[in-house]
Amino acid sequence: MRVEYINPFVESAYNVLKEVLNGDVKRGELFLKSTAMPVLGVAAIVGLAGDVEGRVVFDMTRETAVNIASAMLEAMEMEPITTLNDMGRATINELANMITGQAVTKLHDLGFKFDLTPPAILTGDNMELSDSGVEALIVPMEVPQGKIEINVAIRERA
Amino acid sequence: MKTKQDFPSINERKAEGVKEDGNGYRVLIVDDSMFVTKQISQILTSEGFDVVGIATDGEEGVEKYKELFPNVDVVTMDITMPKMDGVTALEKILEFDKEARVVMISALGKQDLVKKSLLLGAKNYIVKPLDRKKVLERIVMSLKQ
Repeated sequence: MRVEYINPFVESAYNVLKEVLNGDVKRGELFLKSTAMPVLGVAAIVGLAGDVEGRVVFDMTRETAVNIASAMLEAMEMEPITTLNDMGRATINELANMITGQAVTKLHDLGFKFDLTPPAILTGDNMELSDSGVEALIVPMEVPQGKIEINVAIRERA
Repeated sequence: MKTKQDFPSINERKAEGVKEDGNGYRVLIVDDSMFVTKQISQILTSEGFDVVGIATDGEEGVEKYKELFPNVDVVTMDITMPKMDGVTALEKILEFDKEARVVMISALGKQDLVKKSLLLGAKNYIVKPLDRKKVLERIVMSLKQ
């Protein structure tokens, strides 16, 4: 997978997380996976289809998802959550929307044309994620509320 | 020497969402995200706006507008929604009421649709992530047009 696909996601994740969580965001080392990999517990998945195709997954533990959603809600003077309820899922969904929205703008500026699916949220224990025919690049992002792994698998359409 | 009374109290500032007659401007929020809906209502009600309706897709948004008409001053309209997207809903609302004030809410990456909406007659647009200042500024601006 070309690294230029992942950079817009890393940049926009950094910008959006910094803005909505109002705290330090640290980028970890990027790594490559071509085998099935475990999902941490809560995954927001966005599909891409067009000149390029694939998917982006924002993966985090349930605890991190609750912490992040609560921080986003509190920043808006809204009630924080204690479990991952509908409001929590809607909040994580919106976070994925904001990050992919910014990244896509950057990719469109680079000349790639494609559409996005609305984010879907998967929750559960012992889940695994695998892609056929495309490697996934993963960038961990550390925020005060926990760690989010941005997992991008994109290829040019044949 | 200046006394406390010489300074206007911040409490005396007129809330942005309150009309001359003391009532709040009436807002219809159309958005499929529960988070965004809450966020917009929180920002607007804290400034005296009156959220008169919430719809979670474009189709429901058009229906609610017709139902509430003429008691809506401004509509916030998400672009990407199930059943009917925000651009189509904008068109339908403007067909029904050409004076309707609609402010589009968009994620980045939808510039073409934002442009299309403005050409169709949307009064303004707000790009997510939403913040208080941006939301109030754009909505107030649309009310003054």
